[in-house]
Amino acid sequence: MKYFEDVQTGEADTLGSHVFTEAEIIAFAKKYDPQPFHTDPEAAKTTIFGGLIASGWHTCAIMMRMTADTIRRNHLATTGSPGVDSCRWLRPVRPGDTLTGRSVVLETWPSRTRPFGFVRSRIELLNQRGEIVLSLIGLSMYQRRERPA
Amino acid sequence: MSDLIYFEDVLIGQTHRFGHYKVTAEEIVEFAREFDPQPFHVDAEAAKQSMFGGLIASGWHTGAMFIRMINDHAIPGSATTGAIGFDGLKWLKPVRPGDVLSVESRVKEKVDAPSRHGTGIVKIESRVLNQQDDAVMTLTSLVLYRRRNP
Repeated sequence: MKYFEDVQTGEADTLGSHVFTEAEIIAFAKKYDPQPFHTDPEAAKTTIFGGLIASGWHTCAIMMRMTADTIRRNHLATTGSPGVDSCRWLRPVRPGDTLTGRSVVLETWPSRTRPFGFVRSRIELLNQRGEIVLSLIGLSMYQRRERPA
Repeated sequence: MSDLIYFEDVLIGQTHRFGHYKVTAEEIVEFAREFDPQPFHVDAEAAKQSMFGGLIASGWHTGAMFIRMINDHAIPGSATTGAIGFDGLKWLKPVRPGDVLSVESRVKEKVDAPSRHGTGIVKIESRVLNQQDDAVMTLTSLVLYRRRNP
């Protein structure tokens, strides 16, 4: 297992990849974010986006899936997240786009009262042209190898 | 022309309370299987052994339920065209099966920046509340409103 003590500021990782299909963009949006530019390819053509785009919350959910797979693959002793400092949807995500993810650790600090530590990371998702579509700075909690004295 | 609320019409300090979203175990597990398959989100038995003591919704699921309530109650009547992101999102309390969520939102700031596609940015602070009126999630959304006079 990789515990809090093993996480170093500046360390970078990749988060795998995901292809967005039109069907999944529409399915997510019908359930959670039914604005015409997320659910209706024809209506989307007349919007400022010029075509169907994924809900930003769908892109975040995919970012979470890529992170969860990385947690499992790398045996990270994470135990959830208290929040996200900032999140920007910088470019539209369209059907057929292949997103890849990368993360870098910005800062780590131990909890004073509880047996875990905090890690602040920047996570970016890029499309197949290398353009950043999502940029966020988030916190995660890691279990400590040893409990604080 | 229409009585939609445009960027110019939004008033700082305006507050709204809306939404009534019943959270089910089935939906928690369905969302998490696709997007956040950690044991405390997908496996009720394993969740009992976790620090949460039972099944809880993925924080991103709470975000998705939040944007659904925004779609049902806040977007109709508003000349919005999406959002560019959010700041200061905090997951404050676990969301569990049986919880009923609602939203309390307040206009915090209007950004008087050069028009992008005839829109302006409105910063809206929202609290997602459970049936005990405890905030389970808070965030400040950066929402694009169309301008009445681009």
